[in-house]
Amino acid sequence: MDYKALAEQLVKSCTKTGADGAEVYLETGRRLSIDVRNGEIETVEESASQGAGFRVFVKGRMAFSSCNDLRDASLESAIGRAIEFAKSTTADPNNVLPDERAITAVEGLYDPAIAKATMEQKIELAKAVEKLAMKDPRITKSAGSGYGEGEREIFIANSNGLSKSYKASACSLGVSLVCEKGEQKTSGGESCSRRFFADLKAPSEIAARAIERATELLDPRMVKTQRASVIFGPEVGASILGGILAAINGETVLQGASFLGSKLNQKIASDLVTLVDDPTRAKGPGSKPFDGEGVPTQKRVLVDKGVLKGFLYNTIAAKRAGVKSTGNASRGGFTSLPGIGPHNFFMVAGAIAPAEIIKATKVGLLLKGVTGYGINAVNGNYSGGAEGLWIENGQVAFPVKGLTIAGTAAEMLNGVDMVGNDLDLNRATATPIFRIAVMQIGGE
Amino acid sequence: MKIPDYYVADIPRRKFLELGLKGGLALAATPLLMDTLLASASPGLLAAPPLALDKLMLNRVIRKALERGGDFADVYVENRISRNILLEEGRFKSAEFGISQGAGVRVILGDKTGYAYTDDVNETTLARAADVAAYIARGGKAVKPVDIKEATRPSFVTVKLPLADLADEKRLGVMKRAHQAALDYDPRIRMASISYYDEVRGRVIANSEGLYLADELPLLFFIVQALSEGNSTRHMGRERLSRHSGFEMFDEVPPEQVAKTCAREAIAMLDAKDCPAGKMDVVMQNGWGGVLVHEAIGHPLEADNIARQIGAFTGRLNQKVASPIFTMVDDGTIPNARGTVNFDDEGTPARRNVLIKEGVLLKYMTDILSAKQLTMERTGNGRRESFRFLPIPRMTNTFIEKGKDKPEAILASTKSGIYVQSLSGGSVNPTTGVFNFTCREAYLVENGRKTTPLKGATLVGNCLDIIQNTDAVADDLDFGPGICGKGQNAEVTCGQPTLRIRGINVGGTRARATT
Repeated sequence: MDYKALAEQLVKSCTKTGADGAEVYLETGRRLSIDVRNGEIETVEESASQGAGFRVFVKGRMAFSSCNDLRDASLESAIGRAIEFAKSTTADPNNVLPDERAITAVEGLYDPAIAKATMEQKIELAKAVEKLAMKDPRITKSAGSGYGEGEREIFIANSNGLSKSYKASACSLGVSLVCEKGEQKTSGGESCSRRFFADLKAPSEIAARAIERATELLDPRMVKTQRASVIFGPEVGASILGGILAAINGETVLQGASFLGSKLNQKIASDLVTLVDDPTRAKGPGSKPFDGEGVPTQKRVLVDKGVLKGFLYNTIAAKRAGVKSTGNASRGGFTSLPGIGPHNFFMVAGAIAPAEIIKATKVGLLLKGVTGYGINAVNGNYSGGAEGLWIENGQVAFPVKGLTIAGTAAEMLNGVDMVGNDLDLNRATATPIFRIAVMQIGGE
Repeated sequence: MKIPDYYVADIPRRKFLELGLKGGLALAATPLLMDTLLASASPGLLAAPPLALDKLMLNRVIRKALERGGDFADVYVENRISRNILLEEGRFKSAEFGISQGAGVRVILGDKTGYAYTDDVNETTLARAADVAAYIARGGKAVKPVDIKEATRPSFVTVKLPLADLADEKRLGVMKRAHQAALDYDPRIRMASISYYDEVRGRVIANSEGLYLADELPLLFFIVQALSEGNSTRHMGRERLSRHSGFEMFDEVPPEQVAKTCAREAIAMLDAKDCPAGKMDVVMQNGWGGVLVHEAIGHPLEADNIARQIGAFTGRLNQKVASPIFTMVDDGTIPNARGTVNFDDEGTPARRNVLIKEGVLLKYMTDILSAKQLTMERTGNGRRESFRFLPIPRMTNTFIEKGKDKPEAILASTKSGIYVQSLSGGSVNPTTGVFNFTCREAYLVENGRKTTPLKGATLVGNCLDIIQNTDAVADDLDFGPGICGKGQNAEVTCGQPTLRIRGINVGGTRARATT
């Protein structure tokens, strides 16, 4: 089926049915997942899906409907529902659609080799990573290994004449392990996700990392409640970016619900902190040529050497703020309206090797796991559960578990005093290892 | 436990819209779709009674699924009509209408499961899904499927004002009332945000054991958030109301009441001070605080990880795992509750399951697969977010049974510690039992009295410690609604009476003064 033509034709159906403006977001996709445990297949899931979302504007009022049945009668019924629903919403002069025809060139979003690899090959990968991991005598049980893949194609058309599409793929391989020692039980795993099949890490590399994670916190000890340095490893650094992202969301800022709302062009973090959103990076997990409503994407520096340089906007929030869309309309598939979100959001790497950061720390916590909601975007408070390795005199002393860490975003961001050189951009939200000079740690 | 979903990473989701993301669609609620569904299933046979037609077709699909081998096969057909409206900053910002339909075919052979689903429901696509799902059963022994026969199950969901017949103005009306009530509560409430969601989910379940079931479940979910500003800080309060019910829910609980509860929290927390860090006694107020045992004890009692022998409670059946005053129940039959299921998404009747009685572990929560693997009974906990997901063991309405103490007496007898009025939510590692929770509203307890409100309090610990260290349980059991995530979402309630747990590690920003 020619989905691009279908999307364009559906825009016309919307305007014929009574919409002054309309956008059609059409998505098709397929996915496969294979779970293996103890050398046997546990589940194989396969599916193909499709659907359309209709955003309609009637006299400044906006409404939306979605439907995963692409037969004409069902699509028309869904369009009618959206137009009917527009009676319920409030008119707003900011309710506009984008019209930029440009598309940002982004390499490496789709790999045809994923679909070409055989089912047997994929099952073997999942079995191999588990088998290699179980060779370590400390690992007593497998919680399962898995291979997954997905492809999707997105089509956006609107009544301003915009019509665009792109195709993307991803695949992943990982394993989850359990280690039991006496009464102790620890778990850990590793997963590798890539745009291209050939870029997946070797099963041996994934297994080795999973073993390390499952065993590194064995025989933990408790420490006293105290103030000390906290080092965020690359596995956990992203956990503090979530709250920052929510706080630089242009709509949250407009609502006065962000602790960063009044800080534009002010210093909010130490000189070592530079945060970038780059959807244009080749093979980036969050890369895309245009955002969730068709606006071309762009690389943006949001925090430059500690200074807040900008917020994230989609078209409607941007109009309200009197700025241009930053190409940050996010879309949770065809079933909902565009929101606001980043693409590949990361803290720029520093110059220091991770080992040097540990060596330079007199007393502190090297975080391996954090839990909780991260930084509260409304007031900047932070509190969470923590586990990791305790550092004394520049060396790893012993594992620690069941701790808490707490602070405020201002203290934490300004407290960053070392940033490592180990940034891995294969995660959509990523940081290198970094140290916060001092935080409150809750223990005994 | 599972490897992170590869699709989610590059799709940032907007908080309010998450509710609208459920895939799925509707049978009885959309005549057009039902018609096209049946027409494509068997053109020319439209004169036949719809259900009879469905059954013959489903029988053929089940037979196809077991053609290459397998112990069990089922077909799950779903349709869902949903409405999601947002009132924020005084404006009805968005209105989303969702129509979703689809079906999944599953084949089980031993410990293996094959699954395939399709949005497009007709005999050709279902047969193809059956063929894909059968991949795992190649060469295995096959059972002979029993022809399906319609079964009935009791319903615990009553509807006086059906959602399908409701004018949109009624929906807007309750939202406006809540919005006004939140703003009227206090001048320091700067903004209110009202999120209204309703859905009608139709289900058809047919399996190789001969079961055929169909029903329709309405669901309402109403969320009020209020932003307060003062004392050079801000707080976002939140209160939720949700039931499987008709629109009469708002006659029983007025929207103003939800809004006031939310605004009260937002204002109270403006005075919050730094929370002390370290081990302390915790008094948990009745209601949604039950999410703590939902996470800390409930998830580890789901039988999938027990069957894999990796769950924290593996091999602990009939052993004493908790304090003798601790009884925990999962009950999918509580009338109109958000977690009520009538029957689970595999067709097993919902029931009241006492999981831990007076400290002794009696039962795990099973789905069909884990019940078979463990040779245990089916408890009615096989649930799925939509046809896009396999059923797995999930909780329904999970709660700590009421005790004999009085809530005031529990607080009065607590010398120092913190009083948790409400929790945001939390998570648990089902293998190790390590959990964490973030408090929405908490107070310092000094000499048996609630005193200073506390900001940024986190509770961490191990699930076994919690239930062993519970030393007082009150008689005021109450529930709160939530969304439970385990690779897929499920609507649940969590409940508890006021109770006290000795010695939980609390995370805060302030070192405790040594006494």
